[in-house]
Amino acid sequence: MKDNIVIIGGGIAGMEAAHQLLLLGYKPILVEKSDHLGGHVADWHKLFPDMSPAKDAVRDLEEKIKEANIFLETEVSFINRLKNGYNVMFTNGVNVICKAILLATGFNLFEASRKEEYGYGIYNQVMTNSDLERWFNTGDDKRINGKEIKKVGFVHCVGSRDVKAGNPQCSKVCCITAIKQAMEVKEFFPDAEVYCFYMDLRLFGKKYEDFYIKAQMESGVHFIRGRVSEVSENIEGKVIVKTEDTLSGKPAKVTLDLLVLMSGIVCNKQAVDTASLVQVKTDSDGFLKSKDNILNIIETDSKGVFLAGTATGPKTVPETVAEARAAALAIHNYLVTLK
Amino acid sequence: MIDRFASGFDPFVIPFLIGMVFVLGYCIVGAIRLVFQLDHADRKRFLVSLITPKTIWKNIKDIFLNCLIHVKLWKRNKLLGYMHSSIAFGWFMLIVLGHIECFVYMPHRVKLFYYPIFFNYFVAENEYTLRGAIFFFLMDFFLLMVLSGIVLAIIKRVRSRLFGMRRTTRPSLLDRIGLYSLWLIFPLRLLAESFTAHISGGSFLTIPMNMLFKAFLGDHMNMLPTWWAYSIALCVFMCVLPFTRYMHIPTEMLLIPFRNAGLTIKHARKGFAKAQVYSCPGCGVCIDACPMSVKKANIKDTTVYLNRNIRRGNEKRIEEISDKCLLCGKCTAVCQVGVDGPQMRIAQRSIRNYGLDQDYTGFDISAMKASVSAEPSPGRVLYFAGCMTALTPAISQAMESVFRKAGVDYAFMDKDGGLCCGRPVLMAGRFEQARELIRKNKEIIQASGASTLVLSCPICYKVFREHYKLEGIRVVHHTEYMLELVKAGKLVLEKGEGSMVYHDPCELGRGCGVYEQPRELLRQAGELVEAAQNREMSICCGGSLGSLTLGFDKREDITRNALNNLVSGDPATIVTACPLCKGTFARYADRPVEDIAETVNRHTK
Repeated sequence: MKDNIVIIGGGIAGMEAAHQLLLLGYKPILVEKSDHLGGHVADWHKLFPDMSPAKDAVRDLEEKIKEANIFLETEVSFINRLKNGYNVMFTNGVNVICKAILLATGFNLFEASRKEEYGYGIYNQVMTNSDLERWFNTGDDKRINGKEIKKVGFVHCVGSRDVKAGNPQCSKVCCITAIKQAMEVKEFFPDAEVYCFYMDLRLFGKKYEDFYIKAQMESGVHFIRGRVSEVSENIEGKVIVKTEDTLSGKPAKVTLDLLVLMSGIVCNKQAVDTASLVQVKTDSDGFLKSKDNILNIIETDSKGVFLAGTATGPKTVPETVAEARAAALAIHNYLVTLK
Repeated sequence: MIDRFASGFDPFVIPFLIGMVFVLGYCIVGAIRLVFQLDHADRKRFLVSLITPKTIWKNIKDIFLNCLIHVKLWKRNKLLGYMHSSIAFGWFMLIVLGHIECFVYMPHRVKLFYYPIFFNYFVAENEYTLRGAIFFFLMDFFLLMVLSGIVLAIIKRVRSRLFGMRRTTRPSLLDRIGLYSLWLIFPLRLLAESFTAHISGGSFLTIPMNMLFKAFLGDHMNMLPTWWAYSIALCVFMCVLPFTRYMHIPTEMLLIPFRNAGLTIKHARKGFAKAQVYSCPGCGVCIDACPMSVKKANIKDTTVYLNRNIRRGNEKRIEEISDKCLLCGKCTAVCQVGVDGPQMRIAQRSIRNYGLDQDYTGFDISAMKASVSAEPSPGRVLYFAGCMTALTPAISQAMESVFRKAGVDYAFMDKDGGLCCGRPVLMAGRFEQARELIRKNKEIIQASGASTLVLSCPICYKVFREHYKLEGIRVVHHTEYMLELVKAGKLVLEKGEGSMVYHDPCELGRGCGVYEQPRELLRQAGELVEAAQNREMSICCGGSLGSLTLGFDKREDITRNALNNLVSGDPATIVTACPLCKGTFARYADRPVEDIAETVNRHTK
């Protein structure tokens, strides 16, 4: 029964799937290209809606998969198709024969510098959502430390729902992330004015709406509906945001000490290359293509190759974890029918 | 040489005469109408140019080189050049030599309109004419030349690819009638002259033909029918000419003096614009040149179809074609007669009735004026970044850095927001609104006390150069300005690693004729490679503000095609000098794209 199953990607999807496969009695082999498990979640500070530390969630999962084979700083160099499985060669020289492969390759954050008009990498006081989480975690960022933070702005949908940036899809989690981060910033700098520039708020998940109301009622975050057209910098190094307040129908100009760009979720280009080794194609949105987008998002057109997590599109943490479990079960069922 | 007929007349000349009188009458009336359609100032300008020796000479030279020799076409495509000039110049020489012959041998017949054309029918050779064999030789020679052109034309009609044309227009029914009658004229002339060669004399072509015919056909009965056929072919061609693309032949002879008089399009359909429409030969060279025609899309939105639809008065199509165009000007760059595609379209847009007219008079510019205001100083520079640079702040940042490095006393006109330069509204054909923006910007600029205005956006540059008339203030694009700084030793460029390709932005290259300065700068900063098509042949990035209707999704193919052209020399970096090109290319490029200001800034200390 101890079949090998290769899981590509050591984020929460890969970890949770490994955990479930271990419980089912398989031998998951988890490869992760970076030097730590947990993927993007490991870089995050607190998770909505309960504001539980991301570190705890990752540590919890790590505990559960101790018995799995885990290769860090390892990538897939090639995959050969066998009669009833695959031969996977890793960059660390290990060669594995497995019955099934799970692609839990995750996503990339949109490179905010590609939206040049927002000035990321050009103006000093512009950062991304991920930079802000790093500051929450490490307390180290010269854009915040030693600066007087009186006014902070959040730009929603940076590289999401943006055809011109090549990503028409909604990243799903940034609305709530922005609200979460706005509230956290407000906690750090109670006197600061915090603005969220949004096109519309998509608060679909459990307790998301509560968060939104709390942000307005308790934290006093200002929500301005309108896309930011351009960002500039004044002589004092402050950033000036130009937008339109579409609710009042007037152009607005706000001078800020810090601007946070909510970089969206885009497909992981490297994952596309890896997936092509097992003939998994990309869907029209650039993410990996499932067999069916309604009833069978986990299986692919390639036999024995499965998908989990944000490899197929933007997802929240609970969705990703649920999908990882479903993937483990799908793999199990597949292996049973194979016998 | 003696008269064969005392009357000097035969009924077969009647069709020719009808055609000739018709076409001459039509062209003269048409030309007078066009001149009267010009506004008063333009008409005066045109008439003055007709009596100014300099323009007279230029007109003659241009008409000879373009209409007869087709110099521009030779430069582009030798085969097409030969085809056109052999027919045009050969025919012209046949007419001229025919008249000279008539003058020399039959001076008393010169007054007969048709006589030189059908000279060989009406005369009989005698000993005297033998001295003039050189004429007969030349006549045969030029006839052969025309015939060789006709053969090429027939091949081209069947296989245009052999002539390097991928796509061409579909001729209309009348065009076909004109075409076939044109093809027929010269073989018929050869036949007719061959049948009479033993009477009227001939040379290396007609005499052997005559002998051959005699052996086959024998009698004189064939003579008259072929002369009739020749005359009828001429008649058909001349009668349909005004309604076909061949109208470009006489119209171009009017367009060239119009252009040399310095006229611009004032009315969308009349005067100079009409001369352009009728000068379009419908060759379709603009189809292959048009950046929108990549992947066989938008072929019927090219300039040749705009002209065709204006001739037909199809308002719906005129509107579609005028609005879709990117106004990159490449059709004009390749056009043999120089039809100004962008200006024609802007003129069409300007006569449109818009539902809403923006009003810019209410804009308050006092704060902007105050922020740049200073005492006039010869060294002071005013930098205007423009809206597009506001969206690509890396460029304005690099420019400011360059100014500081060179120790320039500068003011940043629109650092904290500014007005549009007016070019986009101008492109949309809304001249009144553009004038208002120009007036306001001019006020700010004049308050700045600067002697030089630097622009990093070619879109702005073009309008500032052409429409602002800033007395005492020099308008320069940042490519030119930075090169001046380098030449003055204020900026020292260091050669870096990695090759670069330079993309000529439409508005800077074809629009303002700036090609060399950016290249000179880049050569000092590193290795410069060239794109497959560059300079005036440069391909629009697809981001142009010129198009009012082309959707974002439709532009991707255009951008990718332009990128493929740029990376043919495998450069490490793509460098351009336009914020809009930069943003557009960066979207799909597989390598870094930057503005020349960033390149210069990186390579200086």
